[in-house]
Amino acid sequence: MTAGPLTTPVEVRPSPGRPKKSSRGWWTATAIVLLPALIPPISLGWQVLTKGTGTMLPLGRLLELFASTVGLTLAVTITALSIGTATAWLTNRTDIPARAVWMILAALPLVIPSYMAALTIIGATGPNGLISSWLGFTIPTPYGFVGAWLALSIFLAPMTHLIVSPALRLIDPATEEAATSLGAGQRRAFFTVTLPQLRPALVSAGLMVGLYTVSDFGAVSLLRFDTFTRAIFTLYEGQIDRRPAAALSLVLIILALAILFIERRSRSRAGYAMTRARRARRPVEMHGWPKGLSMAFLFAFAFVSLVVPISVLVFWLIRGLSAGAELGVFWDETLRSLGVSLAAAGLAALASLPVAMVTTWKRNKLSGAVESATWAIYSLPHITVGIAVVVFALTWARPLYQTVFLLVLTYVAMFMAQSVSTVQDSLRRVSPVLEDASRGLGRGPLQTLARVTVPLASPGLAAGAALVFLSVMKELPATLLLRPNGFETLAIRIWSATGEGFYTMASVASLALLTVSILPLLALTYRDLSD
Amino acid sequence: MKRLVILAAAGALIVTACGSGGTDSPLIIYSGRSEELVQPLIDHFTESTDIDVEVRYAGSTDLAATLLQEGDSTDADVFFAQDPASLGSVASLLARLPQSVLDAVDPKFADRNGQWVGTSGRVRTFVYNTDTSLELPQTIDDVTDPRWFGEVGVAPTNGSFLAFVSAMILERGEDATLRWLQSLAANDPQDYPKNSPIVLATDSGEIDGGLVNHYYLLRLRAEGEGNNSENWFIPAGDVGTLVMPAGAGILSGTDMPEAARQFVEFLLSEEAQTYFAAETFEFPLIPGVQPAEGLPALEDLSTPDIDLSELADVLDDATRLVSEAGLV
Repeated sequence: MTAGPLTTPVEVRPSPGRPKKSSRGWWTATAIVLLPALIPPISLGWQVLTKGTGTMLPLGRLLELFASTVGLTLAVTITALSIGTATAWLTNRTDIPARAVWMILAALPLVIPSYMAALTIIGATGPNGLISSWLGFTIPTPYGFVGAWLALSIFLAPMTHLIVSPALRLIDPATEEAATSLGAGQRRAFFTVTLPQLRPALVSAGLMVGLYTVSDFGAVSLLRFDTFTRAIFTLYEGQIDRRPAAALSLVLIILALAILFIERRSRSRAGYAMTRARRARRPVEMHGWPKGLSMAFLFAFAFVSLVVPISVLVFWLIRGLSAGAELGVFWDETLRSLGVSLAAAGLAALASLPVAMVTTWKRNKLSGAVESATWAIYSLPHITVGIAVVVFALTWARPLYQTVFLLVLTYVAMFMAQSVSTVQDSLRRVSPVLEDASRGLGRGPLQTLARVTVPLASPGLAAGAALVFLSVMKELPATLLLRPNGFETLAIRIWSATGEGFYTMASVASLALLTVSILPLLALTYRDLSD
Repeated sequence: MKRLVILAAAGALIVTACGSGGTDSPLIIYSGRSEELVQPLIDHFTESTDIDVEVRYAGSTDLAATLLQEGDSTDADVFFAQDPASLGSVASLLARLPQSVLDAVDPKFADRNGQWVGTSGRVRTFVYNTDTSLELPQTIDDVTDPRWFGEVGVAPTNGSFLAFVSAMILERGEDATLRWLQSLAANDPQDYPKNSPIVLATDSGEIDGGLVNHYYLLRLRAEGEGNNSENWFIPAGDVGTLVMPAGAGILSGTDMPEAARQFVEFLLSEEAQTYFAAETFEFPLIPGVQPAEGLPALEDLSTPDIDLSELADVLDDATRLVSEAGLV
């Protein structure tokens, strides 16, 4: 996948000759698939207006939560962008040994949910931790800000890696060659020529990482760092009165919308045109200490993000088995997770097609608004979406309450933005000439869609479906609230087993979740390798 | 695009295949007790009675709030909760249980109005690392003594801690409870999201002790760890050794009253009580069934004298006080 939601990494193509008539259907379809985005603000607004807020948190506490949330978000975004850009550059643009293997390894931690990351950090450190026992001395468990920052940065860096990698490959080598031939060193060329061209990809990676951090509740709960989302969850879980949690969710929704609004107003519309004929690029040759340092960095990253978590899980499994713990294999849970993930992935990719089409065709206020709506719902913490959808279903759609249908619909609404951005990226590479030619040769708009546009957009659709699949597999808070009775998924089993101290069970469910997630992730990285 | 449709359809197919395999109208239980703990028992109930059961697992308070939000339109037939506060807060939705059911346990472990009955005993305790050089607390107030500065683990957002604070409000009143919470907060307590990480941290020596429920240590031992710590039942007869029964009630709107009653009776059967003792390490509440090895008899503990039916009325106050004291 490349780039972003809010960006135009390649050139913005005007399309004067595009027929108006066929577009009406796409706008209608767009409006329909975006309708669920209205549910959270409307339901929560209605609830707060008609039922009040209950006893709200004091203002001082709200400001404190605001500050800690913003602080964590900034720290995680900067760190994850730095690590992800470094792994992307090393694996895409240099001649380090086993480049392809590193490219996959750097993306792989994306399958690890944040709560599992936090859980394994706790299991690895402390006096009885696995790493402590390897080293022979105790590494203290990094509770609070440091722990949350580490867990989220390490496991969000792969997201940056996946977004920046294709963008790096798209940069016209001529610009860098020009810089070096004019006497700029490698480093100067990177900072003055390469980095500015990566800006659109970095902005969208930053947005994804930042929004994820705001909405995360697993890592901050387990590692004990108070953010807005954790406060909402605490209110929701610990209090009979549901009104304060709903009111606080509404505050957070307004905050998220404000961030998006500011982001849209301030973003640069500059694009970088690329010459169409791509030439093979010579990789940057690495020697001496930079090579040593780079390899050390990659090894360290793979160790912390993959070796440690998997070792902790396997260690728990073995320890539990040798203590005679009974081992359940979670077939039903695995199938349910797989089922809803597949359904949501397929539907989200389909739904993203009209949205991506209308926003790629034309850049105007309306398409800008459409894009904002897609990202608005993606940016909401899942716990707030869950709370809002429960209110919505109980008030206006009782038959849908606690149904798989509503659960999948919510997943689609929450994660569609991921697919929209990958499909947009594919569509931008489709020359309008091809579509015009098809129309000119007498094909109708639908036939043109089926024969020309969709096949050309298919890499984006596939990547989008894979990303949504991974997100749904890991999703926890909305699933907790919206699942039907008895509908336990792997994520839910991991969470509940952890809470009760059944680490053997948690490790079995975790390993199952990782196994199921690896296939779509490999599909994603395979695309990168073959690009 | 065709592939995407196939993908979505495959997903839908898998979901329907494994969604609910049972009959059209199973007995629906909202369980605040976790799946790991009670599913084996429920499976056994289904085997012996042929009644299909569908369970919604979540936190007890969470489910109580959900029940109130769903109101009369709820599909739930039975509410099986971890603590009396959650059960009490949905009293308006519960039916009165048959006297025979209520009579199975000591009246102090059942609702005053007969709307819920205790099914197993969970006791608040002070877990400590056996290497500690600190003198163990004789009263709950000793826990806030400066000698324990920075060494006590608490889970201030956890349901059982809030139930404990609620009980303290009933015992001492709001002001005194706030003062106790404030002195706890001033003593640099280490906060954790749940009980089990407190026990882990105590066992590893990260902290010297913590306020938890008694069974987490026993569970940790069943996983092959937990050999560096012990439970200490504070002997003063205050809320430090509070008994919080898990319990069950039947929704008055149930469409399966007979099956619901059978389920609650099953929870009080010798078989289920033995299961609680042996598998979840809780105290059985019917006469004749012994608690797990290493635990004292319930009667031998110095427990506070509190009407558990009133816990629900002060639960939200407890949450407010915990936050006012700066613990969350």
